[in-house]
Amino acid sequence: MIDMTTTDIQSVIVPPPADSLVLEVKKLNFFYGTHQALDGVDLPVKRHAITALIGPSGCGKSTLLRIMNRIYDLYPGQRADGQILLDGEDILGPKVDVTALRARVGMVFQKPTPFPMSIYDNVAFGVRLHASKTSAEMDEIVEESLRRAALWDEVKDKLHKSGLGLSGGQQQRLCVARGIAVNPEILLLDEPASALDPISTAKLEDTLEELKRDYTIVIVTHNLQQAARLSDYTGFMFLGKMIEFGPTADLFVTPKVAKTGEYIGGRFG
Amino acid sequence: MSAPRPAVSTDQIPVRRDVLDPIFRYVAFSAATLLLAVLGGLIVALLIGGWPALAKFGPSFFFSTTWDPVREVFGAAGPIVGTVVSSALALAMALPIALGIAIFLTQFCPRVIAQPIAIMTELLAGIPSIVYGMWGLFVFAPWFAKHIQTPLSGLGGLFAGVPNGANIFTASVILAVMILPYMAAVFRELFRSIPPQVREAAFGMGATPFEAVTRVLIPYVQKGLVGAVMLGFGRALGETMAVTFIIGNSHNFPTSLFSSSSTLASTIANEFGEASGMHSSALIALGLVLFLITFAVLALARWLLSSQRY
Repeated sequence: MIDMTTTDIQSVIVPPPADSLVLEVKKLNFFYGTHQALDGVDLPVKRHAITALIGPSGCGKSTLLRIMNRIYDLYPGQRADGQILLDGEDILGPKVDVTALRARVGMVFQKPTPFPMSIYDNVAFGVRLHASKTSAEMDEIVEESLRRAALWDEVKDKLHKSGLGLSGGQQQRLCVARGIAVNPEILLLDEPASALDPISTAKLEDTLEELKRDYTIVIVTHNLQQAARLSDYTGFMFLGKMIEFGPTADLFVTPKVAKTGEYIGGRFG
Repeated sequence: MSAPRPAVSTDQIPVRRDVLDPIFRYVAFSAATLLLAVLGGLIVALLIGGWPALAKFGPSFFFSTTWDPVREVFGAAGPIVGTVVSSALALAMALPIALGIAIFLTQFCPRVIAQPIAIMTELLAGIPSIVYGMWGLFVFAPWFAKHIQTPLSGLGGLFAGVPNGANIFTASVILAVMILPYMAAVFRELFRSIPPQVREAAFGMGATPFEAVTRVLIPYVQKGLVGAVMLGFGRALGETMAVTFIIGNSHNFPTSLFSSSSTLASTIANEFGEASGMHSSALIALGLVLFLITFAVLALARWLLSSQRY
């Protein structure tokens, strides 16, 4: 029998060096109305690295991601308590400007969400919200972002065509380009490859690999191989708790909590 | 023992299915053809009925402003302009408010309040037009005449006219009230159809609610919005009873917002009872004109929809 409770599990967190952290989640609780979805979650996020969140469906990993740029604010009845420090500043505080926060912490969703406008305007969208640029500067930002998202060569001749006309994989890389165009510190990705075919997935992974030199990436994934291939640190969540967090190689090879081993070994999930 | 396999050869299919399927297809086909036949018949009837007037007055039927049943001289410019202007004004008034209602209900309003407001909006759409007409004539027009038209009448120009509240502008207000709930309800459904991820993506880029709505959500549903606006316009063009009550029913060419005027539909409704001969032919020709304008609006909507870039 698989034990479906977490009360007797002692969670193990092996954090990166303290001076390399860009974001720290501390004792985070989260509620959908009266239902508690996260219970005392800790997550240290290392700068310029890829942090993966894994765990069975409903464990709270997407919920955790959605708190980091306060997108949950859109829904009355959802609330968080605890602390999330971004460069030492608590982003859950009442005085936080969420539009400025979301420019610093960008998000790419599970399904591609291109806006109903041209490819160029999609990428320029966020930049126009937060800064005024000359058209030459904007051209440069758009090209640079599309190159970094590994999409430039495929779209450079149709920048002014609709973003909705691209394939699913291209749309998702367009969303990545749109996200990095505003030059965020952190890019959150919520199962970005789950709607993509294997080739598009490989391209997207290459893109993320490239991006981590300049950005901090937190990715939620159902795909354990993807987490193992791609990430530097991995957090395993279960029933709203952070069960184990540590360097990816250690967590996958020598998990310190039995539950992590069971999940990675495919015994449940 | 295994059950017998289903037959694949046609001669083993039970007879009933063989017979019912062609009947079903025939019934569906007839339903579609019937509609076309009615449409065709309508056009032919309007053409035949209106032909004497159209043949006698020629192009001046559309451009002349004289509508004189006594001398039997008929020019429809007054009703045509009255129809288009009153409907366009109504649309201009209703569109921003309907957008506001739909955006508020779907984006900012707590769910407990949104539902009752939505139901009330739909109730408003169900009120018969004659009730709006009576309210317009007995309540709104006198109030408007006293508190708005009289103070403004000194300005002349666009505001010139007999201050009795029966004019193009008040008719437009009533029309706007009538098409508003309909448009708001359709707009609301459109905004509800936007996937939540698109909205989250817009806000996730750091957009303010205003930016998210104007730059992402409205463009996302703009095709549907255009369609709904054109259907609302079509409704306003053909609305008869409420307008007949309040527009003043004058055949003069409207020269200001506060001129009393008439529409194609209101003229037909007012005069058909006493019309005969050339007069009734002219009224049928008005019907044909109304039909053509409505058709043009729908065609314009089609064209706008197909020429959208995104």
